[in-house]
Amino acid sequence: MEDKVSLRRTTRYLDEAPSRRSSSASICVHLWISLFLLLSSVGTSHAARIGDLGETKILEQAIRFFTFQDPSVRYALVGSMLLGISCGLLGSFIVVRKMALVGDALSHAVLPGVAIGFLWNMSKDPVAIFIGATIAGLLGTVVVHAIKQTTHLKEDTALGLVLAVFFAIGICLLTMIQRLPTGNKSGIDKFLFGQAAAIGANDLKLMALVTVLSVVVVYVFYKEFLVTSFDSGFARAVNVPVQLFHYALMLLVAFAVVIALQAVGVVLVSAMLITPAAAAYLLTDRMHRMLWLASLFGLIAGAAGAFFSFLGPNLPTGPFMVLGATSVFTLAFVLGPKHGVLTRWLRQRSRSSRTKRENTLKSIYHVLEARDFKGDGVSLRELAERRRETVEEANLQAAQLAKHDLATLHEEGNVIFLTPIGFQLAAAIVRNHRIWELYLTNQAQIASDHVHEDAEKIEHVLGEEVVRELERKLGYATTDPHGRAIPNLDEIRRAAASGSHDTLVGYGKRP
Amino acid sequence: MISPVKSGAKNTNDRASGESGAPPLEVHDLTVAYHKKPVLWGVDLVVPPGKLIGIVGPNGAGKSTLIKAAMGLLPINSGWVKIFGKEKNYRRVGYVPQRESVDWDFPVSVMDVVLMGRYGHLGLIKRPGKRDREIARDCLDKVKMLPYANRQISNLSGGQQQRVYLARALAQESDLYFMDEPFAGVDAATESAIIELLHELKSRGKTILVVHHDLPTARNYFDMLLLLNMRVVAFGPTDEVFTYELLQKTYGGRLTILSEVAEAVRQRGDGG
Amino acid sequence: MNLIPPFNFHDVVIAPWTTQIGSFGWIALMGFFVAAACGLIGNYLILRRMALVGDAISHSVLPGLAIAFLLANSRSSTVMFLGALGAGIVTTLIIEVIHRKSRVKQDAAIGITFSSLFAIGVIIISVFASKVDLDQDCVLYGEIGNVPLEVPFVTVGPLTLGPESVVRMGLVTAGVALLIGFFYKELLISSFDPALAMSVGINPTIIHYTLMAVLSMVVVSAFESVGAILVIAMLVLPGATASLLSHRMGLIFAITILHAALSSVLGVHLGLWLNCSLAGAMVVMGAALFALAWLFSPMHGLIRWWMRRGALEEPETASVTSSTPI
Repeated sequence: MEDKVSLRRTTRYLDEAPSRRSSSASICVHLWISLFLLLSSVGTSHAARIGDLGETKILEQAIRFFTFQDPSVRYALVGSMLLGISCGLLGSFIVVRKMALVGDALSHAVLPGVAIGFLWNMSKDPVAIFIGATIAGLLGTVVVHAIKQTTHLKEDTALGLVLAVFFAIGICLLTMIQRLPTGNKSGIDKFLFGQAAAIGANDLKLMALVTVLSVVVVYVFYKEFLVTSFDSGFARAVNVPVQLFHYALMLLVAFAVVIALQAVGVVLVSAMLITPAAAAYLLTDRMHRMLWLASLFGLIAGAAGAFFSFLGPNLPTGPFMVLGATSVFTLAFVLGPKHGVLTRWLRQRSRSSRTKRENTLKSIYHVLEARDFKGDGVSLRELAERRRETVEEANLQAAQLAKHDLATLHEEGNVIFLTPIGFQLAAAIVRNHRIWELYLTNQAQIASDHVHEDAEKIEHVLGEEVVRELERKLGYATTDPHGRAIPNLDEIRRAAASGSHDTLVGYGKRP
Repeated sequence: MISPVKSGAKNTNDRASGESGAPPLEVHDLTVAYHKKPVLWGVDLVVPPGKLIGIVGPNGAGKSTLIKAAMGLLPINSGWVKIFGKEKNYRRVGYVPQRESVDWDFPVSVMDVVLMGRYGHLGLIKRPGKRDREIARDCLDKVKMLPYANRQISNLSGGQQQRVYLARALAQESDLYFMDEPFAGVDAATESAIIELLHELKSRGKTILVVHHDLPTARNYFDMLLLLNMRVVAFGPTDEVFTYELLQKTYGGRLTILSEVAEAVRQRGDGG
Repeated sequence: MNLIPPFNFHDVVIAPWTTQIGSFGWIALMGFFVAAACGLIGNYLILRRMALVGDAISHSVLPGLAIAFLLANSRSSTVMFLGALGAGIVTTLIIEVIHRKSRVKQDAAIGITFSSLFAIGVIIISVFASKVDLDQDCVLYGEIGNVPLEVPFVTVGPLTLGPESVVRMGLVTAGVALLIGFFYKELLISSFDPALAMSVGINPTIIHYTLMAVLSMVVVSAFESVGAILVIAMLVLPGATASLLSHRMGLIFAITILHAALSSVLGVHLGLWLNCSLAGAMVVMGAALFALAWLFSPMHGLIRWWMRRGALEEPETASVTSSTPI
């Protein structure tokens, strides 16, 4: 039973021990979760320190928020969450299509439309503003396209032009409106930085409509959006109308931008499109999961923004939503289980320490081999000589091996005995190295004195499958180009499994 | 030219040219310009079915442009392109674009990419079903990439990515294939695997056009060659077209690398 | 409707040059300096396809300014410049870290960085409204109209130069012009071919960071007059217009300055008439000039494009051999 276990353990070592690898990943997940909880609980008390607001007032506001006493709170919260979902969902396509700056230009270009929509009825009529803003946004994309088609100006210049000029027109109109007698109370200036509290019942209906529409369209036409985003050249070959879906996406993005305007503001809407989606992009390798995550993160950012802006008088919502989204992004960036910066650093460290261990094992094997596997243990001095390091360094390496159950130390730590697993692993590494050398000299016809370095690197990462294939290709050869024996792993394993240790050469003693 | 007569017996060649017997690809007086600079000028071409055709020429000669224009990816200044007798008939083409055209960080798996080849058969809205997945697995197996089906595509080598592209085109189950530099930057093993696959396709009556960058191998790989340098210099069976004079014409003065090839050609010519 | 005030010819067109020259003169001059400085350096943004980095820097100077004001509690120019410089450097660094250390691409990295930094800036100025003398809306479109009100004017010896911000902006503009003049070759070569630049001993990275630093300083000087968003227009409009009209760098720079002058003067008139944001009006007039260039440009104009569609010249290549029969 124990031998079966050891066999399995060895096989896992040979195929890279996953348990070691995932421990760093699970550390990150735990860190991530606890940080998240910490941040969300600290949020309230931290908010007390900003500005000149008293503690009791903050708490009052927070309670008011969470008990949903105010209908305006309900509208603000629900609306913010809805816009977060639609921005996150559509923003995912913007991120993978590398159109972040198109999104930015679009969201600035809507401003004149907002102003004209307001002027239509001289009031903050959601429908009029919606239509005006959408038309302005789409007009902006048309102008960008026209500039690119008809002049030599490049895309970034065209986007910058449209962004700033349309915005300027909007500002002119806005300032003109503000000088009108009715203009001052219009609340139109809230469109610049957003004020979730301004969301009314009619706004909410529109937001819900747009969000549902986006979700439905993306769901139904998922594969079309996928293929046109991934490889638009190929999409034609499978009969998917590329231009149609591009315009459809632009239209939906315009809708999402416009409904988000009131809460997030013109200037920062593009951040709501990009940041939650970018965070999702870092956390998954599949598009459909990215869409889910992006919507979730958008929702969280929206809610956070609504909450924080509620805490003080006249705090704009937009910036808080953006910071919420950015916090999520930063967490994903640093702690993401697959691609996070911290995760990768930890993985890199564990990989290099594993390589070091394997090299030590290999040297021990060489020492044993050099004396025909006579004698049991390898002294620290012999190891140090072999690896051309100091005895202290050899000592450290030996301790590492002992820690991972690959060797045991005897005679006050001066002699190393490999454990069964350690020996099998050592043999496997040596085998990989020699088989690879043999392959390179035979099949690839590289001179035998050139192959050593390549093999040094490859021996640690050859997978079981590849080694089997090599063995087969080389006709199960038993010696390497330098005439040394290639360890036969099956023999070693079988002997270990059967428990007949004395038939096995060079097998370390058990304590 | 191809016989337009419909015979009673349905041989593979007949089926591969489409119901009407139209050639897989017909190009008439095609001119494509990029920012007022012509890249293709007056290209006329009729491609017979069931052949493996290489498109060769110097850099900038319009080889990729020809494929892209045929797929409607570039605007055509004049002339037309017909695929199986119809214009804009892109869905009949198994298309392998250049590898650089895609962002390999895109969050999709190998299987997702190959399934995209089935979209043409599904139409809008409908999702890939069991049969589509089987076909996709089959195609992945043909290119020996089945074990990688669930990997995200950035974790692949250049040769592996190329094979995934090929599998996707196979999944389309087309009769005509366009391949844009499928051998660029792939290892020798992948290259021979791809050629094997192409010959297999050809034996089933498919027509394949390949933009190829390496002249020496072009001679061995393809039945027919299209020598292109903005205009068609020559088009025909490899043996007839791969002559020093025609290659000189195609490559202008840039034939420096081809001394051994030219030598081999001359020798063969002398030998008969 | 009352939105568009009646066009009083005298008030809008004549008065600024006569009775009101005291105030509108300075405003127009300020506008000219801002547009000229931005436009000159903006030409390099256009050439290097970095127009949107300009967008990013213009947004991200805000937290730099806000923090600088908060810490230093003063409005001195040095404080402002330092704050802007710090912000510019931080922005560039963050963008690099994001897109080099993860699979997030550069466009998204730019967007995330500048919007977060801008958000931080807005929060600071909202929350510390008493301590930071920046108004939320002013941040977006500036208040160039305040310029003549900056009394007392700066004096150098017996000479009264003018409002402080105008003098400052004038110096910045002169500085930019001199810089471009002295380093003309270096800037040109590193914009067109960084590899070539390296081979002749010019380090494109140094040029890049210097350009970014100068850009930050120009942007921050322009900030209070035109705000964060309109400065983007000032960066890109003059150069884009000029490049539609000429292909020679020298002429392009000249047209840039001309465009700056025209758009600011005409902008003052427009703003006076419509009673709207003056900076906005300047951009609108600049855009109108761009539109004219776009339509009528002898090389790239729409009219030309329409007339010339489809006409191609036959290429000269090796003559064609007849196709070998299949």
